[in-house]
Amino acid sequence: MKSFFKRRKTAVRAKQSSGSEDLIPSSLSANLDTIRQKTGYSPDIIIRTLSIGHYKAAVVYTDGLIDSVPIQESLLEPLLKHEALPKPLPPDEALPIIARQSIALGSIQFTKKYEEAILAVVGGDAVLFMDGTSTAVITDVKGGERRSIQEASTQVSVRGPKEGFTESMATNIALIRRMIHNPNVWVETMKVGKQTKTDVAVMYINGLVSEEVLGEVRRRLKKINMDGVLESGYVEQLIEDETFTPFPTIINTERPDIVTANLLEGRVAIIVNGTPFVLLAPAVFVQFFQSAEDYYSRFDIATAIRMLRVLVFLISLIGPAVYIAATTFHQEMIPTGLLIIVAAQRDNVPFPAFVEALIMEITFEILREAGVRMPKAIGSTVSIVGALVIGQAAVQAGIVSPAMVIIVSITAITSFATPSYSIAMSARLLRFLFMGAAASFGFYGVALIFMAMIVHLCSLRSFGVPYMSPLAPFIAKNVGDTFIRLPLLFSKNRPRLFGHSNPTRSERGQEYDHSVPKGMVNKKTVEGETNET
Amino acid sequence: MEKAKISAFQLFVMIALFEFGSAILIPLAIGAKQDAWLSIVMGMVGGFLLFFIYYRLYLYYPDMLPTGYVQKIIGRIPGKMLAFLYMIYFIYLASRDLRDFGAMLVTSTYPDSPLFVVNALLMLLVIYTLRFGIEVLARTGELLFFLFLLITVSALVLISSSGLIDFRQLQPVLENGFYAVFKTVYMETLYVPFGEAIVFTMIFPYLNERKKLKRVYISAMTLSGLSLAFAMIINVSVLGVDLTSRSQFPILSTIQMIELAEFLERLDVYFLLVLIIGIFFKLSLYFYVAASGIADLFQVKEPSQLIYPMGIIILLSSISIAGSYAEHIEEGLKLATIYVQLPVQVVIPAVLLIIAFFKNKKTKALPA
Repeated sequence: MKSFFKRRKTAVRAKQSSGSEDLIPSSLSANLDTIRQKTGYSPDIIIRTLSIGHYKAAVVYTDGLIDSVPIQESLLEPLLKHEALPKPLPPDEALPIIARQSIALGSIQFTKKYEEAILAVVGGDAVLFMDGTSTAVITDVKGGERRSIQEASTQVSVRGPKEGFTESMATNIALIRRMIHNPNVWVETMKVGKQTKTDVAVMYINGLVSEEVLGEVRRRLKKINMDGVLESGYVEQLIEDETFTPFPTIINTERPDIVTANLLEGRVAIIVNGTPFVLLAPAVFVQFFQSAEDYYSRFDIATAIRMLRVLVFLISLIGPAVYIAATTFHQEMIPTGLLIIVAAQRDNVPFPAFVEALIMEITFEILREAGVRMPKAIGSTVSIVGALVIGQAAVQAGIVSPAMVIIVSITAITSFATPSYSIAMSARLLRFLFMGAAASFGFYGVALIFMAMIVHLCSLRSFGVPYMSPLAPFIAKNVGDTFIRLPLLFSKNRPRLFGHSNPTRSERGQEYDHSVPKGMVNKKTVEGETNET
Repeated sequence: MEKAKISAFQLFVMIALFEFGSAILIPLAIGAKQDAWLSIVMGMVGGFLLFFIYYRLYLYYPDMLPTGYVQKIIGRIPGKMLAFLYMIYFIYLASRDLRDFGAMLVTSTYPDSPLFVVNALLMLLVIYTLRFGIEVLARTGELLFFLFLLITVSALVLISSSGLIDFRQLQPVLENGFYAVFKTVYMETLYVPFGEAIVFTMIFPYLNERKKLKRVYISAMTLSGLSLAFAMIINVSVLGVDLTSRSQFPILSTIQMIELAEFLERLDVYFLLVLIIGIFFKLSLYFYVAASGIADLFQVKEPSQLIYPMGIIILLSSISIAGSYAEHIEEGLKLATIYVQLPVQVVIPAVLLIIAFFKNKKTKALPA
């Protein structure tokens, strides 16, 4: 306890000392020495000394984080070729002039703070120091090896843009900007993580976003006080409303079109540098059953598919539980013919249905986990072993019944058919709870756990927005885009709870005018006036 | 009072689910034989009349819980005592409902399970729910309402398509004269389930759109009343008067009759969900109202602290309330109606309204 307090105190003191920031020493050699020392003489910190006219200067950058072409062609070359100034100026005044005349890069920035300069160096910028002045020029030459834009691997769609986010925040922001050409798309950046100083951007459409939600997002992001933020999952867990829940209350996506659509609904996107997964808040439960493709395909098909997903989620949740309950407690529910088959199969099985189900489910989970972690080259081994173990050997050995194999396979497939990975994971976990309830109290237990789940879902909020909205609280205007999807013509409203600053999405009058006769009745077509010839 | 707001639709859903609650389980108004449905409809109309008593009282004190305005009407100490009696009444009704449900489950599906365990499990769910307060309960109600509709409509489709319905069972109408029907109304249906909605007087102050209260209440009552009457029509026309009156849980017997395409049969377990939803909701409302009322009376800052002890009280009294299910039903539909429900739901509110009327007349006459 005592040491705990002590540590806190020193931490506070450390913070205070870093508050009075050191300025860059005006002597170049002293300056470079400090840099070398502070970076531990790391060989990837490149210090290139040069003379600009009669001034001594140095360019400092980190190898691998910069793009070497602009650093050579736009920074070093023009600086070296810089002609002497007409009259000798003190370095303090000369530096801005030189920078303006000779640095052929888009973004330059002056600083006097040592901390800022060194952070820029390790963050992938090149910094120009000059002897005799305590001003440094930070030039943006970020680059280096990065993954190129590829198809999103977690949210694949048949129709729709194929681009997925990459690990670079700048690229991700650009991908979104390419979809909305609107000056009201605003981006705020901040650095999160005491050690990692990860760039985190908050993106929204000014005028559509709910100010309360935005303020809440900002406040929670600022409160993060951790060593490092390595992935958006860190941010997600640190800013979510409820930690003790199996359900995700923030969406993550790899697709720019989903982010764009959500920005248009008034949500806030949180982009973390170094991960292709962008967070969207506030999230509601129904969103996890929607995929981008729903909006690109016809509404009736999209609605049917969404219904299917709800069914899939339910099966994945209570499939094995129903089997256990029906075979253990409610045999009378099963039609006689089926009951005889199931009973005959289960006759040789030495375990009660619950144990049987548990064995199979856990076996499957093991196979699944192994399949994820295994090197690709031996991946097919897992499927062969899995098929043999689950499918054949277990049944032939009489350890499980074939009906159980069917149930496990169905639940296994359903857990992959949900568009959102995170909600499929919730179902995967809760399934075992349902199985336990079914084993002890039959359908009554399943029903009770189900109701408890509904109560829990209703009690959740995401950034103040009830998780089950627009179903509970019921908002008639927004129900058109939940488990059903009405034609786009009818979806005229933004979600009321957080899109209220500008509730109307589209005006009337874009519908096809049905009073105009169409097809063969159209006289013009009949008379051939609009023929393509 | 909790700092919460519920919408008009949420109140609608709560009233509808509440009215269904246990009423759909028991052989309601079967004293009127094949005219039971008529008795239910008349009970519903009586329920409207009762509502106007409660509504006028609410209009006098729109921001207060009844536990508060009773004290204004008849004085602090007598008001507190009366309000406390009401809370005990709500606890009693909650225990009754829990017993109804537990008995139903034990008789129909879990003959080997002890009543206590069955009741305790539902109680756990209710306790878990009530910790979140009225808003979450209201939202849960909205979701469950859709599920409820889905299952009941599918039940209706299944029953009608399995060719069980014989409307001749409902004839002759008014065989025993009008009085026989009327008797079940004032002996039974007026109080159970319609008068029981007195519990909502404790919910009204949370409503955010006050103007809609009358419309919401009447429409929810009408929906549930007509549906209950309809359920009774289906019960009687499927089972016949004789079987319906002898069956402990006519709705389950009806559903057990379903046999479709030699595949869908014995669906009572499926409809168990409807019954669980109904009872869960009714029980939660009684319990919530009792807890918030007691918190209000005794100035308990955190009503959620009361949830655990009161849950145990309700659970234990649900077991000890009656020796057998027959005794339980006899007590509920014969004795409690006249000696408990009638004074509590009709007489006392009416008297309170009259006093409030004169009190407010005096005070209103001065400034206006």
